[in-house]
Amino acid sequence: MIFTEPVFLLFFAAVFGVYWLSHKPERRLQTLFAASIVFYGWWDWRFLGLIGLVILVSWIAALRAAPLAPGSPGRRVWLIGAITIHLGVLATFKYFGFFADSAAATLTTMGLEPSWPVLSLLLPVGISFYVFQAISYIVDTARGQLTPERQIERVALYIAFFPQLVAGPIVRAARFFPQMDREKVLSKALIWSGARAFLIGFAYKAGIADNLAPLVDPVYSSGDLSAWSNSALIGATIAFSGQIYFDFAGYSLMAIGIARLFGYHIPKNFDYPYASLSITEFWRRWHISLSSWLRDYLYIPLGGNRIGEVKTYRNLMTTMVLGGLWHGAAWTFVAWGAFQGAGLCVHRALFGKSGQRIGWFIALILTQGFVLMSWAVFRAESFGDALSVWHAFTGLRAGGADMLPWFVWGVPALIALDAVMGLHGRKLKTLAPVLQKPVVYWGGLGATAGLLLALYPLEAAPFVYFQF
Amino acid sequence: MNALVILFAAFSLVAVHLFRAPAGGKRTAAIAAFVIGLLITAAGVRMGASAAGLGFTTGFDRVVNSAAASAEAAGDNPLIVFTGASYSRNAVDDLRLTERLQAAGYPHTVINLSLEAASLPEREINLLAFLNRIDRTPDLVFVEVAKTFDDRPAQFFNNSKFSARGIEQFNGRTSVWTLLGLVDGGCGGFTDCGKSIALTSAHFGLNALNVGLVARGENPKEAYDMSAYDPAFEPRDIVLEHDRLAGLRAGPDFVPSHGPKWVSSLRGLLERRLESDGVREVGYYLPPVIDANARAYLDGLCLGEFAGDPCLAPSDPRLLAALEGEVWYDDSHLLAGGADIYTDWLADQLITSGVLGAPRGRVFADEGVPAP
Repeated sequence: MIFTEPVFLLFFAAVFGVYWLSHKPERRLQTLFAASIVFYGWWDWRFLGLIGLVILVSWIAALRAAPLAPGSPGRRVWLIGAITIHLGVLATFKYFGFFADSAAATLTTMGLEPSWPVLSLLLPVGISFYVFQAISYIVDTARGQLTPERQIERVALYIAFFPQLVAGPIVRAARFFPQMDREKVLSKALIWSGARAFLIGFAYKAGIADNLAPLVDPVYSSGDLSAWSNSALIGATIAFSGQIYFDFAGYSLMAIGIARLFGYHIPKNFDYPYASLSITEFWRRWHISLSSWLRDYLYIPLGGNRIGEVKTYRNLMTTMVLGGLWHGAAWTFVAWGAFQGAGLCVHRALFGKSGQRIGWFIALILTQGFVLMSWAVFRAESFGDALSVWHAFTGLRAGGADMLPWFVWGVPALIALDAVMGLHGRKLKTLAPVLQKPVVYWGGLGATAGLLLALYPLEAAPFVYFQF
Repeated sequence: MNALVILFAAFSLVAVHLFRAPAGGKRTAAIAAFVIGLLITAAGVRMGASAAGLGFTTGFDRVVNSAAASAEAAGDNPLIVFTGASYSRNAVDDLRLTERLQAAGYPHTVINLSLEAASLPEREINLLAFLNRIDRTPDLVFVEVAKTFDDRPAQFFNNSKFSARGIEQFNGRTSVWTLLGLVDGGCGGFTDCGKSIALTSAHFGLNALNVGLVARGENPKEAYDMSAYDPAFEPRDIVLEHDRLAGLRAGPDFVPSHGPKWVSSLRGLLERRLESDGVREVGYYLPPVIDANARAYLDGLCLGEFAGDPCLAPSDPRLLAALEGEVWYDDSHLLAGGADIYTDWLADQLITSGVLGAPRGRVFADEGVPAP
């Protein structure tokens, strides 16, 4: 059930109606919990047991650890045990095949012939997201930022809250639980802020990302990039930079909008990352919920930047390599993470401490060029493929410079337009008071709906981040 | 991807970023403004897509492309078009039929313009698109008549829902004819009826609002060709010999009859339109099926609704006897061997009925050597 599919809109309408017709807060929580179960079961009901296990372990561990003294061995056992189980679930379902294949390949190169049973497991949708939320719950309660919940349904709703269950944003437990107890009123402001976020997300996803997918997939999923021309590789990579942004930011906005329509506030996940002037800034604007999660639950516990320059670089690299691995069980994701980590280290070494700056345009080109090159590693199915793309961009690949497809200019134009409108749209609205006239406003909304329907792909493509 | 996608996406981005809190005002005015904005945009999109030659590419477009190529290759030969559904796709071998006719001295080229699950309104759209493409008029057009499609105007939804082909065909005209058919007794039970009406309306809405047209639209003329004749070589369902023989040997009584009012009217309009465009005769036919009642349905129409028109009902005992062997794909469709038998029979019928006019001398000798 994808947010842009009609079946989801029907599902949402039903849940929205039942939710707001219920006046008791507990009934509303039960409605959201039941809807989340149906939503997740719709993908694959067999994995309900798995998410149930994650919920159960989190609930028990937090409750059992709470009465014990901070730092006591018993408390540590509960917390570390629960986190180990969560990471074990992730390792088994997401990484087992990857590590087994990698070990087999290593042993084969050493002249051995490994033979072990193959465990083919389906990747449960959203597992990386809900496992991170569960860890957030355990750690936040252990840090005393949150009182452990006695009612398992509340823990279940936090971990399985359907708007952000399968692809984030990753919400902190300390931020979510207080919202469950807050009184909720269905106001016009709530409806319109939720609807607006959903509408922008819908335009991103169905209007743009799904229409860029046919430019990317035939090239990158062909299994052999050597057969494609330089212009095809450059075009597909630029299209992918647009696809992944509009797809993931679109999903996040729709999730934020849906949650808001139930009275929950989910923090933003993207802040026009392609307007960043440095790689450090990029990571403050791209997938904010993941980068801040990694910062708070990995980078800082490792020591962050307080334990010397060399260890800061080590921590940055460790965090980004693990962040890369979080995205997918493949060495290309690890390399992508390492590439990003190296970029952060270099930026820190050159500019981080001195505060020196270069011209904004050069900074933009350098930063976005770096990001674009990194997308080739992210999307490629092998290092050889990624290298082919890099060679195509740098002119090192045979075949010469053939004509670039026209959309190579269209995609950056859309990204730039989005950033300008997102960052300065409010001013434009003030400049054009005619837009505030009711007839113009509603007529314009109808016209926009007409455009979006024409752009709506008949078969909705799954969100890119569902695989993570 | 076409340039319209980027253009529309740019407009949409600007618009969605501009909408913040709704302005005040009356609710009815707001709804009216919204609907007008939507409809004006839909009309504009349709005009733009039409100017750019954009449409959904469907199987029928591929068949039309193939048929147009055949028509072009036929030169000045008179054309005979067979338009039907899956019955005809499996049974009317247009190349073989052309050879048979030309061997008998008739210069006609036969074109099969059929696709599975095609209702009469959908066939009409594609027949007219084909005529538009070839820019000349066929000598004869034969329209397949099957009880299933006459009785169930929304039969298409049993095969496909919310597909590009479904959305493409349910324009205003097709939707109206389908709804008329449903009202005219073409519904099943209450639930089926509601479902068919809802599906027809939904498809019409998607068509009218151009859903997906810019995203997935392309020039259908550029789609690869697909021949309508689609011979099958292995049976899909085994029809027991007993059932096969019983069906083929049965000959139920029939009386002169008319089809349901909606479809009779549509056939009448199509016939008049084709004849006014210069088609010499419009005829009706149905490839053989095992169900004797389905054959008898056309027998009745041949004496009633189609009296005076060429009508080729598959009730000839010699044809049915020849089809008693293992020539069936299932109980309604022929394997390639059966298609050969039927096509040869069809050639005989066309020749002996006199509908082709007088032969112009043998074009090819039996060995394929051009006759003097």
